[in-house]
Amino acid sequence: MIHLLPLVAAVAVAGASFVVGRSADPRISRARAVGALLAVAVALAVATILVAAAGVAHRPLPAFGLQWELACPDWHAAAPFVYLLVGVLAVALAPAASHPPRTLGDVLRLIAVSTAFVAFESALPLVALWALSVVLLARGLGRVDSGLRRAFLRYQLPGLAFAAVGAGLIAAGRAAEGAVCWLVAIFSREAIAPFHGWLPLVAGRAPLGLLAAFVGPQLGVHAHLALVADAVPHAAAHAFAWAGGVTAVLGAAIGLAQSEARAAIAWIVVSQTGLVAFGLENSSDVGRTGAVLTWQVSAIAVTGFLMTAAALEARRGALSLREPGGSFARTPRMATSFLFLGFASVGLPLTLGFVAEDLLVQGSVDEFPALVFCLLLATALNGINVLRCFFTLFSGKRDHIGEQDLGVRERLALTLAMALLLLGGVFPRAFVPPPARNAGGAPAHDGQPHGGAGAGHGQQGSQR
Amino acid sequence: MNVVFLQAFVATAVLLPLAAAGVLALAGWFGARLGERAISAVVGVTYATTTFVAAAAAVLGFFDGRPIVVDFGEWFAVGHYAFRWTLLGDALSLPFSVFAAALVGLIGAFSQRYLHREAGFFRFHLMLALFGAGVQVVVLAGGVDQLFFGWEVVGLTSALLIAFFHERPKPVEHGLRAFVTYRLCDIGLIGAAVWLHHAVGTAAFVRLDGAPWAGVHVPDAGSAWIAGLLLLWASMGKSAQAPLGGWLPRAFEGPTPSSAIFYGAISIHLGPYLLLRSAPLLDANPGFAALVAVVGGVTALHGAFVGRVQTDIKCVLAYASMTQVGLILVGIGCGLRHLAVLHIVGHALLRSLEILRSPSLLQDYRHLEQAIGRQVPRPKLALERFFPASLRPWLYRHALERGYFDAILRDHVVGRFLRGFRALDRLDRKFTSWLGGAPATETRR
Repeated sequence: MIHLLPLVAAVAVAGASFVVGRSADPRISRARAVGALLAVAVALAVATILVAAAGVAHRPLPAFGLQWELACPDWHAAAPFVYLLVGVLAVALAPAASHPPRTLGDVLRLIAVSTAFVAFESALPLVALWALSVVLLARGLGRVDSGLRRAFLRYQLPGLAFAAVGAGLIAAGRAAEGAVCWLVAIFSREAIAPFHGWLPLVAGRAPLGLLAAFVGPQLGVHAHLALVADAVPHAAAHAFAWAGGVTAVLGAAIGLAQSEARAAIAWIVVSQTGLVAFGLENSSDVGRTGAVLTWQVSAIAVTGFLMTAAALEARRGALSLREPGGSFARTPRMATSFLFLGFASVGLPLTLGFVAEDLLVQGSVDEFPALVFCLLLATALNGINVLRCFFTLFSGKRDHIGEQDLGVRERLALTLAMALLLLGGVFPRAFVPPPARNAGGAPAHDGQPHGGAGAGHGQQGSQR
Repeated sequence: MNVVFLQAFVATAVLLPLAAAGVLALAGWFGARLGERAISAVVGVTYATTTFVAAAAAVLGFFDGRPIVVDFGEWFAVGHYAFRWTLLGDALSLPFSVFAAALVGLIGAFSQRYLHREAGFFRFHLMLALFGAGVQVVVLAGGVDQLFFGWEVVGLTSALLIAFFHERPKPVEHGLRAFVTYRLCDIGLIGAAVWLHHAVGTAAFVRLDGAPWAGVHVPDAGSAWIAGLLLLWASMGKSAQAPLGGWLPRAFEGPTPSSAIFYGAISIHLGPYLLLRSAPLLDANPGFAALVAVVGGVTALHGAFVGRVQTDIKCVLAYASMTQVGLILVGIGCGLRHLAVLHIVGHALLRSLEILRSPSLLQDYRHLEQAIGRQVPRPKLALERFFPASLRPWLYRHALERGYFDAILRDHVVGRFLRGFRALDRLDRKFTSWLGGAPATETRR
């Protein structure tokens, strides 16, 4: 099945990327990039509403020998909008010095690839788009440092190979083996231990807008839901869940030992992706929905968090956490958004992150009671890390060191992201996705184990 | 009185402070220039109204004789799991709600003058409004899930207000220290909520026959121990119980009015409040009740000894608070729940008044000495005389070192963990370097 609307949106963004990449002035280029992404998002929203109103959103449209459908399935309907918002944040807060027009063009291309990714549910196009996104980031890293590109590719190319083998195995009817290959590929892409090393490494030097456009969308989650879910043997699913949980704790712990803001934030991202990976291996609807929501919240909040740090870095230079070096009073909006988005990503009440983590934890406790407490510890440590970064970056200086607060475009993008997270935190029903389907098309059942064997008590949270 | 009115009063006591905090936050974000009077008016009117509606609900509810339950329905739901928002106005929550709202309002009024022309005037009042809203959510929550919601808000506002004078390094350091304690102990609260869901299917409060107020469901013996220990852990962090209380004297780096309301009046008593809500667990498990009493007793003794050697008034008051909260826990553990409620209210009022007066201590002493015509006499050695002379130097040293708790936590717990995290980081760099082929020095990690 191919979903037409996200594909059209992706083509529009890809077209805009060439215009953006050819601008002479980085600021004009950035303004065009933001405008293009917002225009595509609005057009996509209008089109989605219209096709839903006309009742043709999910009507099969056979053409060219393929099955087409206009809109994404309900469980994934928010994904293109999340990706476009990630793109808006990545370009609106991208510092002009580190993000010349060519880099901004690459950011838009990465967003286009991500948006196109959700249009497909079969393995071959997903592998192709996956490879394209790796090439795009590698090209951008190559402009910074060829060693960095080499290191990145050493992690990503084996993952890509696993994805290709997995696609082949699935096509050959060996779903379980193919799913395990895909999981390895997904773990490599999403920086899950032991394949996590590329993310802090790249975050140390890459243009953060480019990194955010690659990491924020977490394409592995879509690949997991479209290809892998419930095809993984039970034991393997549990092993991968543990790997996700260990990554969450490891990322949170190592993050506290960092003395550079980029590295500390990168480890928070590693920890959050670990949480999502853990949740996806859940056999309950509740846990898996929590994972999907955590992924969407993380995409927006972590991108905003990362890009606010990028904007601050452009004003101040390298951001050290060794001693306090800023003033909250001079850049109050930047400080507020940094704190809010950081806490939203780790589940602060009143934000959608709280809902996501509540679902994740409540849905997992029956199947992984010990691991759930480790995840709570990881979340607590991440919260501590967020406040440590905030205090160090926005306190300790009495004098004005010439930093400007957020500009209009930056404020607009951050307001949009924060408003969504806040509205989602207050009225979560509109934002909680319906349970993701299995690979076979049927919804997952509470307490039903992967592959039809093993764990799960069947009792979930409070009874309705 | 129609029950709908009572429900509306209880709902207003939560929603109005949340709305006020929201209005102030939006005004700050969009750059609306509110004057000091307008800011104070928002806080003052909000909490005066909240006090009134909570008091009305308390009085009318008392005559009605039944708890007031406000069910907002499902907040979100997936599969068989649903998060319901329910508020509960009963014999425990309504007096707390009235008392907390009145104190927040009074502190707001006091701060209008105390923080006049202070650069962070708006920030202080925003945090105060948010704190008050968090407290209302905690006390009127219909279950542990909802209670956690307000609990986190209280913790965050507390840390941010300790670091209010953010240009100096110490307040910021102390704010982070308090937050670390809160955050690690909050695992207990959310863990208890999750465990209660796992064990009995719900974390909602329910009133058992003969109980004066509603409390948590009691699971089987093993689960009751787990849930009880988790709740006690959460309470110990919020209420600065030994050995976790080292953050409390440091927390007084914040503005005096916030110190008064957080560490003299409300925030510090939320731990005992949580334990009062856990009364069914205490009743069902005498071992757990004894543990609560022991934790409180140890804290009371620790606070009493350490407080006596402090040389600045805020540290003295901090340890005095710690002592009293320890005694409240002893009361709760021994089953004296009504006495504990009275103790909380009395202690909160007295201590917040003392803290508010503490910046004027020297002036007060001068007035006192003028009035009595001589120096104020030193207090007699009431406690020390019970100890043999040989033990006194050891006790004195113990008190000076604050029971060695801080040093033990720093060197043997936090320090070890941090060293472990750094070792993990070094290992990870080597692994990454080996796997990725990039030298570790190539990055700024």
